Amino acid sequence: MTQSKTLEQYRPVLAAHSFACSALRYWARGLTGFVQVLRRHARAITALLVMLVIMLPVIWTIHLAFKPALEIFDTTLGFVPTLENFQSLLADGSFLTALGNSVVVSVLSTAFSMLLGVPAAYVLTRWKFKARKQIALWILVTRMAPPIAFTIPFFLAFRWLGLQDTLAGLTLIYMTFNLAIVIWLMQSFFASVPASLEEAAWLDGCGVWSGFWRITLPLAAPGLASTAILCFIFAWSDFFYALVLTRTQAVTATVAIVNFLQYEGWEWGKISAAGTLVMLPVLLFMVIIRRYLVHGLTAGGIKD
Amino acid sequence: MRANASCKPVSWEQSRNRSFMLGLLPALAVLLVITLAPAVALFVTSLTPLSLVNPATSFNFSDPLVNFRQLMQDERFLGSAITQCKLSLLTVAMQLTAGTGLALLLNGKSSVLQYARSVFLIPMLIPPVVVALIWKIIYSPDISPMHRLLEFSGLTLEALTTNPHTALWAIAVADTWQWFPFTLLMILASLHMLPADPVEAARMDGASRLQVLRYIVLPHIRPVLVVCGLFRLIDSFKAFPLIYILTDGGPGNVTEVSNYYGFTQAFNFSYWGYGSAIAVLILAGVFILSLIVTQFPRNSHDPIKNT
Repeated sequence: MTQSKTLEQYRPVLAAHSFACSALRYWARGLTGFVQVLRRHARAITALLVMLVIMLPVIWTIHLAFKPALEIFDTTLGFVPTLENFQSLLADGSFLTALGNSVVVSVLSTAFSMLLGVPAAYVLTRWKFKARKQIALWILVTRMAPPIAFTIPFFLAFRWLGLQDTLAGLTLIYMTFNLAIVIWLMQSFFASVPASLEEAAWLDGCGVWSGFWRITLPLAAPGLASTAILCFIFAWSDFFYALVLTRTQAVTATVAIVNFLQYEGWEWGKISAAGTLVMLPVLLFMVIIRRYLVHGLTAGGIKD
Repeated sequence: MRANASCKPVSWEQSRNRSFMLGLLPALAVLLVITLAPAVALFVTSLTPLSLVNPATSFNFSDPLVNFRQLMQDERFLGSAITQCKLSLLTVAMQLTAGTGLALLLNGKSSVLQYARSVFLIPMLIPPVVVALIWKIIYSPDISPMHRLLEFSGLTLEALTTNPHTALWAIAVADTWQWFPFTLLMILASLHMLPADPVEAARMDGASRLQVLRYIVLPHIRPVLVVCGLFRLIDSFKAFPLIYILTDGGPGNVTEVSNYYGFTQAFNFSYWGYGSAIAVLILAGVFILSLIVTQFPRNSHDPIKNT
């Protein structure tokens, strides 16, 4: 009786104890589980941490673009995002014009490079002639050559031809690298289209170029699209040529950013907004051609 | 192909070749005009003391090697060549290390790793000017997260880009950040080609992870690593936006590389002949390195070809 009473007395304590025990057990299990999860995904977690550190400069710049101009030197992290930097950037119109110039020059140089380069790349894949190796080396050197080697003669020639500070001149000089890239990249895409398909078409009386147009080109369409996008990105990203060959009329977005840096002092919000706008199309395109990107970026590392 | 050619009359072969010519020639002609002609013009200019201030210098070939002789005695040029070597070796070494390390980390099948792989490409795709701008922000003490973090932990750091001892390192770090994805991509592709059998066999025989890395993985990726290094070495001669925006060649001349020196000689001082001579020397270096690249046997371990 007494015993049961004491037991009865202790019941809450015992219950509490067993609850605490099981909680502890669960917690311990949770902890080991957590450690297990950590260990199983150690690689992914490390990768994410490294990614965060490496991306911090980009994230910081984008965050500055959305930070109110008055708070830009504040050490606090919290703020209400605003578009005022973008508004003041686009308000006077000169940056908008520069963006427009960039679009026009990039699109034109891409279009002309594709128009000339795609058929040439096709011929270079299908036709085994003697000078092929020399042409390949020439194209490689063109891709590798330092821009300064082209800029000096182009600058002197453009003065003479009146092409200085024009979009046409810029388009022309962008083809020095884009044409080489198209020829180089498209070769590997055409190589992966089986030649037997064209040969069958030829036997059926199809001409070389109509066979190319109807059979090879549609099969190489993804490669075509990603090559065009890469050309656009390379032209869009150029700074050196635009810096040297433009003054006021044909200034591109990349040169406009540097002008901000030099003349508008330390308006970091505005400058960051400009940087964000210029990298935006590149990031968008990157999502689109993710699958083919690897191929394009290692171009030249590929042996044809 | 051969069989077809033999049953068709020869004229078909000829007409096909003519069609091929038609497709190839326009591109080659344009390429000739926009790349080979400028190269020749550059070489010719480098043989004259051309400067636009003095019209008499335009086609003056009386002393064709004057620029090159002068370059060999120009302390600032020789200094820029040494800076170039330092910067190139530093950045290539750092890129190869960072790229290979990350490739080994990211070489897995989980979706997180695949996602991370594409995010890691971003630095290489951002326009170089924006990269330079981003690092300008990182190196400006009043706005930089790095300086804020250090300040928070009680350390003060003066601006790295204005200190002659750290300026070149600052450029090298930014350049490495921009270009490590190239090595990462190439090495990842090479790791995909790594045959599983030798690794499994070695693991079964009790080899540690480190031993597998040292004796199987590294020898496998070595050819790709060499090609990668050569490519980056060639491209490192072109480093321009980072130097232009972060340091402008300074403080003093500590970050002035040959490319940059040539740019200032030609476009700031209008010494076109002299600038061209510098460009010719850089071009010659690039040409030699390109030749080495094409000679390199890459077939067995070609990262892209086999994917």
